[in-house]
Amino acid sequence: MPEITVDARGMACPGPISALTRAYRNANNGDVIIVMATDPGFEPDVKAWIERTKNELLELKKEGGVITAKIKVVAKK
Amino acid sequence: MKKVVILGGGGGGAILANLLPREEFQVTVVDKSPLHFFQPGNLWIAFKGVKKEKFLRPLRELLKPHVNFVQDEVVEVDLQNRSVKTRNGKQLGYDYVVFATGAELDYDALPGHRKLLETYGDFYSSPENAEKLYKTLLGMNSGRFVIAVADPIYKCPPGPHKGTFLSWELFSKRGLSDKVKVVLAVPVPHAYPSKTIADIIEPELNARGIELHTFFTANEIDLDNKKIISLEGEELSFDVATVIPPHRGPSYSVTPESVKDGNGYIKIDKYTSKVEGFDDAFAIGDCTNAPTSKSGVTAHLQAEVVAARLQGIDAKYSGRTNCPLITDGKGLFIISDYDHPPIPVRFSKFKRLMEDFFVATYWSAIRYPEFWSPVFKAYFEATDEMIRKGEGW
Repeated sequence: MPEITVDARGMACPGPISALTRAYRNANNGDVIIVMATDPGFEPDVKAWIERTKNELLELKKEGGVITAKIKVVAKK
Repeated sequence: MKKVVILGGGGGGAILANLLPREEFQVTVVDKSPLHFFQPGNLWIAFKGVKKEKFLRPLRELLKPHVNFVQDEVVEVDLQNRSVKTRNGKQLGYDYVVFATGAELDYDALPGHRKLLETYGDFYSSPENAEKLYKTLLGMNSGRFVIAVADPIYKCPPGPHKGTFLSWELFSKRGLSDKVKVVLAVPVPHAYPSKTIADIIEPELNARGIELHTFFTANEIDLDNKKIISLEGEELSFDVATVIPPHRGPSYSVTPESVKDGNGYIKIDKYTSKVEGFDDAFAIGDCTNAPTSKSGVTAHLQAEVVAARLQGIDAKYSGRTNCPLITDGKGLFIISDYDHPPIPVRFSKFKRLMEDFFVATYWSAIRYPEFWSPVFKAYFEATDEMIRKGEGW
């Protein structure tokens, strides 16, 4: 399945949640979006985004200051 | 003498042209318009009725006399052969080229968007459309005025928020705050992408009775039934609406095409503005893929970095943002960089004064950047310290 990588490490405002939402606009159901971020605010934001949009969070890990979220796009109409 | 061709005479291109020493560089700026437009002016035009002429000046007058100005449209940039082609058939060779052509706004991406723009105007596309929006709002006596966002990466991240507060102020001055509902819809989980900033904005929205919708990415406009439909499957009704469109990088041909990313933005080293794979090509401002706010401040700071680098100085751009957010009478700056999310800031009249000051000195800062550089440098160094210390302002 198509994998879209969003490298939002070292991103200033507007930050990784905006990068994720932008990638989501161009994604299709079945795609996997992998977002990497160094902004600690991304962790609560991506969880809130998953809950609200009903897409699937496959994995969320934190290593060495980098948050990586693997998201399966399922909720696009 | 090194030949530098700068594509675009906006905030980034004009400042860079004026910074390069004439003894060392033969500078040419290419821009399809004879006029330089102060883009934030759209807010004053659309929401305060200021005439657009206040924010437009001939680019020729803003460029130092020794800078060559070619009024023409770029159609092709060949980085391998170091050549730029224009609409009128000019071929410009260079030692260095700098992309500074800005972002392109796509009003044909969302169904119904162009019709919406033509009906009401907006405060992003042009000063003429900003004047149109002002007329529309003056004729609005009741109902819902909706500002929505189609794509979360757009120029001036606080733009929609400024539009929200300033339109509220306009309706309030007309005695219509009970009759007109101002609505802001954003794609992100809170009022602003950064929760730190959202926590400061949301009480101000609530205090004014402004309706906020989050997780709303505008995707389609149904003008007949007066509603905006989001990617997330929700609908917002409106009486008047404006939607910030998807942005793209330059559409003119660039060889190799691989220097553009998936959205058409020029791929650069985010610190040096060097175009990936080339030592003699740079890009600044909204046309790049730099992971920071698309704003005049970014273009200005990147212009300073490129000017220094062309003179052999190892200058770097930290990703520093300084986005102004103004409400009626107050202001704040959203301060962040590549290594730090926005610091907590609060609204104050003093910061609004500072923003008004920056606006008043804009023409001078473009024409005489060398005089303003030390002032801006001192400001950025002082506020960078706040970032490093984790202090708010």
